[in-house]
Amino acid sequence: MNFIKRGFLSVSRKKTKSLILLAVIFILGNVISGSISIQQATDNVETSIKERLGAAATVELDYEKIDQMSEEEHMNLEISNLDLELIKQIGELSYVKYYDYSFSTWLGSDTANSYLGEGVEERYEYDGPSYDFQLKGVNYAPVLDFEEGIGNLLEGRAFEDQEVENGSSVAIISKKLAEINDLQIGDNITFTNSVYSYDYTTGEEKLETSRDVILEVIGLFNPTSVSVEEGDRDQGMFDYMNMEYQNTVYVPNEVVISEVTYQFEEYLKYDEEYAAIVEEEGISMTDYYIPIFVLNSPEDSRSFAEEVQPLLPEIYKVSSSGDQYDSIAAPVESMSKLAGYVLLIAVVATVLIIGLVVLLFLRDRKHELGIYLSLGERRARVVGQILLEVMVVALIGITLSLFTGNLLAQGISETLLNAENTQNQYHDMIYYSELDAYQTNVTMDDVMASYEVKLDFSYILIFYIVGLLTILVSTIIPLIYIVRLNPKKIMM
Amino acid sequence: MILEAKELNYFYQDGDSRRYVLKDTNVGFEKGKFYTILGQSGSGKTTLLSLLSALDSPHSGNVLFNEQDIKKIGYEKYRRNNVGIIFQSYNLIPAFTAVENVLVPMAITENEIPEDQKTVAYNLLDYIGIVKSKADRPVNKLSGGEQQRVAIARALATNVELILADEPTGNLDEEMEQEIIDIFKKLAHEHDKCVVVVTHSNEIAQQSDQTFMLQKGKLSAYE
Repeated sequence: MNFIKRGFLSVSRKKTKSLILLAVIFILGNVISGSISIQQATDNVETSIKERLGAAATVELDYEKIDQMSEEEHMNLEISNLDLELIKQIGELSYVKYYDYSFSTWLGSDTANSYLGEGVEERYEYDGPSYDFQLKGVNYAPVLDFEEGIGNLLEGRAFEDQEVENGSSVAIISKKLAEINDLQIGDNITFTNSVYSYDYTTGEEKLETSRDVILEVIGLFNPTSVSVEEGDRDQGMFDYMNMEYQNTVYVPNEVVISEVTYQFEEYLKYDEEYAAIVEEEGISMTDYYIPIFVLNSPEDSRSFAEEVQPLLPEIYKVSSSGDQYDSIAAPVESMSKLAGYVLLIAVVATVLIIGLVVLLFLRDRKHELGIYLSLGERRARVVGQILLEVMVVALIGITLSLFTGNLLAQGISETLLNAENTQNQYHDMIYYSELDAYQTNVTMDDVMASYEVKLDFSYILIFYIVGLLTILVSTIIPLIYIVRLNPKKIMM
Repeated sequence: MILEAKELNYFYQDGDSRRYVLKDTNVGFEKGKFYTILGQSGSGKTTLLSLLSALDSPHSGNVLFNEQDIKKIGYEKYRRNNVGIIFQSYNLIPAFTAVENVLVPMAITENEIPEDQKTVAYNLLDYIGIVKSKADRPVNKLSGGEQQRVAIARALATNVELILADEPTGNLDEEMEQEIIDIFKKLAHEHDKCVVVVTHSNEIAQQSDQTFMLQKGKLSAYE
């Protein structure tokens, strides 16, 4: 009769003791199981929501910080633009999958019509400057917006590196814009870069000069469809953003820089006062880039921000699409923290309680262990037998509490989430961010919907490991204390 | 000699002074003989037996089994393969039946045991006087004498040549005591075992082949 058989025989012969141990393990197992369930569910929420929010990041002015500044600080505030070299340095970090820095301007056109929205045909005519089209500069030839699924290239091609480098007169326009203006791949689209002067006394604008910007259409894109339910309160905003995107024209950054430079230099000819300020302060219009960094994974956001922040000029900050998560998922986060504490306490309590229970049982069994040792049984096998006995009972108790603990966690988390949700009805002021285009808007309802306490493989695995390890530790400690004695001391 | 004790010393430390239980004890035992060690309560009989059976280790001196130091054999291994120990309070596993108790050391020893261990265990119990119906009972349902018989069967289960017994009849009535002593004599004389019994009973000592007297830590032959 080897130690394994002895162990099983002891469990079945000492039914009352086995049942007491089972009950203790079952109760403590429920606490551990419940805490792990809640933690797993909150982790899943974090992963899925951050996945939805995307892995984009940018470096931008910290408007929140600026708003909090005193008047004196505002007066002394000097905002320096982001250095292109710094953007490139950040873009080379290992967290970055790809990046772009964009320079944009708005132009009008005498020959091309802009998209006004679905079903809108009537155009409002007026004599002032028209800036219907956004020329969005691109430095990353495959176009970051297409890579990130904001739009997709339907026909033609993206840019070539050489075109981006040379600032070639090529453009990718929306399919809608092409249809309205009857344009095909290879056709030219002409925009007008108009320079207006402004009369500060009359408030009138006067066209001083203009030049045509002729671009060859090399590709057509379509915005990625976003489904908005009828009657949704965001419908108006969605329509506006869609219209703006349909009128966006992707061109190499150098094209935008050239047009902005032209406009700026020409304007200075007609505004001597401003020209003097520009000369004195060395103002330039061509070094304001908006960088977008797409990270390898949403999980990298924190490390990326930690590494980039020290490199940035004052009052700049790193924003990532995952930032939104922190503000909306506060109830889930606090529940995750609570579950973490409960888990820690439960594990410590289990070690102590099971340890004491096992010690109590071992007091009765001490003599028996001495007998095995006096018969020459190896200490490891004596320890093994008791461990086996406890682990067999523990396995049953833990398996039972796996299901009940999960059910318990469902009930508790539902109550806690509802309570937290009603307490968190206030919203902070929302600042516009360049990242808005790269992230999906996620609400508390989405967070609640993605919170799901379920029995998945990783949960079961973690629970068994934590549960059995805890019981293993709490059994081994008193056991070692006994078997390290010599048989005479145990038995006599 | 199958078992020898050489210059054995064992003491209890009491502050700066030592109280010797055994002092420079020398003794030898042969196969095929039934020995008794006689002494008053607290004379150190049980300590000597626990050193001979490797349940404890001496402060100095050696115990030799077949001329090999049991320290070198390894205490655990020595208990597993070379000696059968019988206690006054039987020391059986209460949750197990008599036959299960006999089966326990069979799984522990490295000595060769016939494959059908259960049959061997039943036969051993039967030889000692425990019939099959009793062999299947939990040991705490057996009488004192029967439990001691089970303990003897357990000591014999590993097929050892050396049996050490500590006051094996201390809890038994006279009739039962004689039956147990008869078993020991049979084991020594018919099965060529070396049986060493620690006792305070002169009656038992008189029936042994040789008796040693333990007095004030010194062991001497008793005539």
